[in-house]
Amino acid sequence: MNTFLGFLRPGDMAGTRNHVLVIPAGRVLSIAATRVTNYVTGTKTAITGGGEVGRHKRDRERVACLLTGFAKNPNTYATIVLGAKKGFGYRETEAYNLAHEIAKAGKPVEVLTVEESGGLERLVEDGIAMARRFVHDASLVRREPVSADRLTIGVKCGESDATSGIAGNPSFGKAADLLIQDGGSVIFSETTELIGAETDMAERCADPADAKRLLEMVYEIEELAKRTGEDIRGINPLPSNISAGISTLEEKSLGAVRKAGTSKIMGVLEYATQPRKKGLHFMDGWMSAFSLPMSLAAAGCQIAIYQMGGDVLPSNDPPMLAHDNAVVAPLMIVTGNPRTASKAPRSIDFSAGAIITGESTVEQMGEALYAKILSIASGEVTKGETIRYSDPLEPYYLGPVF
Amino acid sequence: MFHALQLETVDNVATVVTEVDKGTVLTVQTPSETLTITSVDSIPFGHKIALASIEQGGTVTKYGRPIGRATSSIPKGGMVGAHNVEGRRGRGDLVAGRGASK
Repeated sequence: MNTFLGFLRPGDMAGTRNHVLVIPAGRVLSIAATRVTNYVTGTKTAITGGGEVGRHKRDRERVACLLTGFAKNPNTYATIVLGAKKGFGYRETEAYNLAHEIAKAGKPVEVLTVEESGGLERLVEDGIAMARRFVHDASLVRREPVSADRLTIGVKCGESDATSGIAGNPSFGKAADLLIQDGGSVIFSETTELIGAETDMAERCADPADAKRLLEMVYEIEELAKRTGEDIRGINPLPSNISAGISTLEEKSLGAVRKAGTSKIMGVLEYATQPRKKGLHFMDGWMSAFSLPMSLAAAGCQIAIYQMGGDVLPSNDPPMLAHDNAVVAPLMIVTGNPRTASKAPRSIDFSAGAIITGESTVEQMGEALYAKILSIASGEVTKGETIRYSDPLEPYYLGPVF
Repeated sequence: MFHALQLETVDNVATVVTEVDKGTVLTVQTPSETLTITSVDSIPFGHKIALASIEQGGTVTKYGRPIGRATSSIPKGGMVGAHNVEGRRGRGDLVAGRGASK
């Protein structure tokens, strides 16, 4: 049994990180959450580009799932919820309701409000003081060896090119199979990128009810695509995918699902919700690099992996589309493209490019990637974690807005 | 060393993993053997080469599954890409009656 060095949490869980989380209960509190987390080391927050205002209940619930999911994630030691005042705003994202849900994880959670602190600036001061206490408390928890069955990792593929389906995704799939053999869990997503591969995935579901739900998710999104009146090619695959050799959505999908390895699918999850079993899971989700990693973290992933093609990226350390988009989970960027690996050495944590050059095999690269994942789980920082990245994140909303 | 990879034996395309000039004799790694094919087009890294001729409307197969159909006939050794293959799924343009497909 493989192990990693983790921070023990209630409920037989273990973190790969030890963050104090500050969450805004409603978008109007983002300014306070940003000020607190800019000031206090060891903290994280999630600033979203689109708020909950004017949205349907099911979208407000999505915001709540994200925020409470980050707090329940084993990488979070404690959470501070910032609110306007008790009872303010929509019920789903009201500060005390969020804290009530978060408390079920058995970890410290506190609410601070503008009203009780005596103004927005006082709230920031109180938030800073409380965050500093929590960061010190968190430092008293030490890493210790835990078995790999306490690890859940999430994966998205991005900047897909022809190497994605041949090298990058298959080697991740091998690493996923190895983690699952050790009793751990893997979550993959990107519902649109099941179109063309959905029957193969449905056949791999252990429970027929999950197979049915997976097919429903795929056919719902395909129906929405048809209603646009456009060929989905040009929306997804993106122009950069097409110029890198991916000709149709079906081709992209069939390459994308290689990241799911060969294990049975033990569960099909609604967006940003946590699995109840171990093993491989599919989660409904949107592929955006600014959206999916945080959704995987909300589902409980302690590491998010961005499996990148990247052939059409510019040379000389191109800007990455993601660096720290998984909030409380470290984002690890891997590629199967040797040309991408040489272009972006400051961003790529692992390259399986030797498959493309014929110097290595999917099996060998998968084993090496699993070892790297366990090292990052044990505290090795990802290249993205060495910078302070901040860009608004985008919840996957169903719409419409009113 | 190989210049192109066929992923499943039923695939009628292989992915080239080098920049290919027109008229190059390529080594193709298949799941069971290596074979050679002469390119009739220049093909950039990551794009596909037809391992057999594909008729207009014929199915293009990769990963052992259909990835679309040919919008024009493609000769053996020709480049297969967005210019001569179209997807069949999520085609809102066909619903709207503006698609190129017959």
